[in-house]
Amino acid sequence: MLVLDSMEASLPNASTPLLSKISAWYPAAHFGAILGPSGCGKSTFLKVIAGILPHTDGSIFWRGRNLDESDLSPGELGYVPQFSCTQPLLTVRENLIYTARLRRSASANEIETIVDQVVEETGLTELQDRRAGVLSGGQLRRLGLAMELTTQPNLLLADEVTSGLDPKSEEEITLLLSSLAKDKGRLVLLVTHSLRFLDFYDSVTILSAGRLAYSADPRDLTSYFNVSTPEDIYPALAKRDAETWAEEWAQAPNPPELTPSTVLGELESEMSRAEKESSFELPSFLSQSSTWFFRRLKLFMRDPTQVFLQLSLLLVFPAVVTLFAYRGLPSVRNMTMSADSGVLDQLRETLAFTIQSSRIGTLVSGLAMFQVILLALMGSNNSAREVIGDRPILEKEKLAGLRPGATLLGMSLFLLLLVFLQSTWMTLFVRAVCQFPGNILAQFLPFFILTAATTALCLAISSWTSSSEQASLGSLYLVGFQLPLSGAILALPDSLGTLTRPLISAYWAWSGYLQTLRDTRFYDLVRAISETPLASYSMALWILLIHLGLGLVFAYFGIRRSQWR
Amino acid sequence: MSRRAHPTTPSKSIFFVVLTFLALAGIGAYFFQKDANPYRTVEKLIPTDYYENANSLRGNVYQIEGTILNSLAWNPEKGRLFSIRVTTGDSKNWPLPILIPSSLRQINIQKNQSYRAKVRINDSGILLVEEVQKS
Repeated sequence: MLVLDSMEASLPNASTPLLSKISAWYPAAHFGAILGPSGCGKSTFLKVIAGILPHTDGSIFWRGRNLDESDLSPGELGYVPQFSCTQPLLTVRENLIYTARLRRSASANEIETIVDQVVEETGLTELQDRRAGVLSGGQLRRLGLAMELTTQPNLLLADEVTSGLDPKSEEEITLLLSSLAKDKGRLVLLVTHSLRFLDFYDSVTILSAGRLAYSADPRDLTSYFNVSTPEDIYPALAKRDAETWAEEWAQAPNPPELTPSTVLGELESEMSRAEKESSFELPSFLSQSSTWFFRRLKLFMRDPTQVFLQLSLLLVFPAVVTLFAYRGLPSVRNMTMSADSGVLDQLRETLAFTIQSSRIGTLVSGLAMFQVILLALMGSNNSAREVIGDRPILEKEKLAGLRPGATLLGMSLFLLLLVFLQSTWMTLFVRAVCQFPGNILAQFLPFFILTAATTALCLAISSWTSSSEQASLGSLYLVGFQLPLSGAILALPDSLGTLTRPLISAYWAWSGYLQTLRDTRFYDLVRAISETPLASYSMALWILLIHLGLGLVFAYFGIRRSQWR
Repeated sequence: MSRRAHPTTPSKSIFFVVLTFLALAGIGAYFFQKDANPYRTVEKLIPTDYYENANSLRGNVYQIEGTILNSLAWNPEKGRLFSIRVTTGDSKNWPLPILIPSSLRQINIQKNQSYRAKVRINDSGILLVEEVQKS
């Protein structure tokens, strides 16, 4: 049984609460509708019960326990939001299998059996091999419900899952929810603004401006509101203020809590709970990570645009770098060591050497920085939308028990593949065409860590922003500021350079790469033309690792925080 | 009143994480900067002292950092003699003689290249290189 005791919810610093003094109860094996005009707090009501929004006063009890002290466990709650939380590139069955793998510790065969049951229960058998992206609105709502049923929750909350559907689909979904409420003592609450199919509901709760106007049998609805048809209820509600309706309902005699059917429902619910407690277990951290990783990999491979874009960047960016030295780096002509030549000859030689230094030094420094900036750009492209793009699914799966750390690990493994390919190909291709000297592994490392660090930092941006546009813009700024603030092209004033350099990954990767040329004349020529000091190789790698670590930690907190629409 | 789907904002945790990373960066910078100069424990040569009386410094070991000016002499047994320009804190340039012994013949020395070296002042007052690396 779900009991709401004077439940209140308000936004910080708001004068009027979103929900005020809501007291109601719902037994097990029950199908309840939450009704009311737009903006009356129906969705808020459901979110507060689910724990997505905090209640600021009062208490919520589920099966006799206060949810503030002991929250709903992941397997107890199913929450179907208004928006679609399916992956359009995956088939219906794949969507269900990945959901089940993220939520339940079970063998592959057991997962298949669970999915078979759910598919049959929700009438999706014929559609299971069809991609979610081509499903109709009603079929998508079914899939949304089916995904929640993979854990067989005892409390199923559905937010406007019948809205915007044609009358036939609306009836089918309402019937489906009604049948789900009869199974294993499940309590189903449906938020809707539709007053059709009132006969399907065991109870109806009507909200008006965040206040409770009615919560009882739907058959008494018209007489309570003194109207002839249910369609007249909303106009009747508007005639008096919400406070008056709430006071009137508070004085009305409450229906009895214990009836033969509620007792039977509670018994069923208890039996189901006992059965579930012995069998239900969340998957391990690593299992959730690997599921997220393989799911992401499959989505990537299914998206030709993404594959084409990544391949284009992978091949075109290094090719663009080599345009500036496609015949290889020029050879360096050294000055004569002898002091025997005349002053004029020495001056001529010094002038020629200075011109050469400027030309070759600028080329080598530029090629190094060009590689760094393009790798940073690839890094930002890797992850700028990684979290925000999956946010609705992520939030729903977190509610169902997905660990933020496991998500981050799964995402990081996928991104690591891209980062490795990008930095390896950039190092090898540019080195081969431009004939860069130096240790190949030593040159790969700063590039690899730089790409990983930029990817991690953009992942963090993606996890803290509220829209894809914000995330893309933030990531673009992050890369855009790298070049001017690195000091590789124009030296910054000393004090400004000291302040900004620690934050600029590109500077450290550029320094680290140039340090690998230390035993060559190219290094001297870069030193001759650049006023920006070069950091040591180990220092460069260390600071890049710090950037990578910071990016990952911030991404973790960003993924962990709640960001429901 | 915190439920699973609505975790409290871990501002304290974020603050401590940032602080930890800053500390790590600082510690790393301290150690890696020390590593950047392998001769940091060796006393720096003061060119004015050398110019005043090189003989009095004979047998002492110093570190120097400078740019190669010219090759002065070469002997297959003794090594290569160069002039090196050492810049002091007051921006004055001091040309000094530096002898790279034949045992370090694998090192490629070029005009205008900068080097850091550990040197011993030999009996003739010349800076004899014991260890050298590009700076």
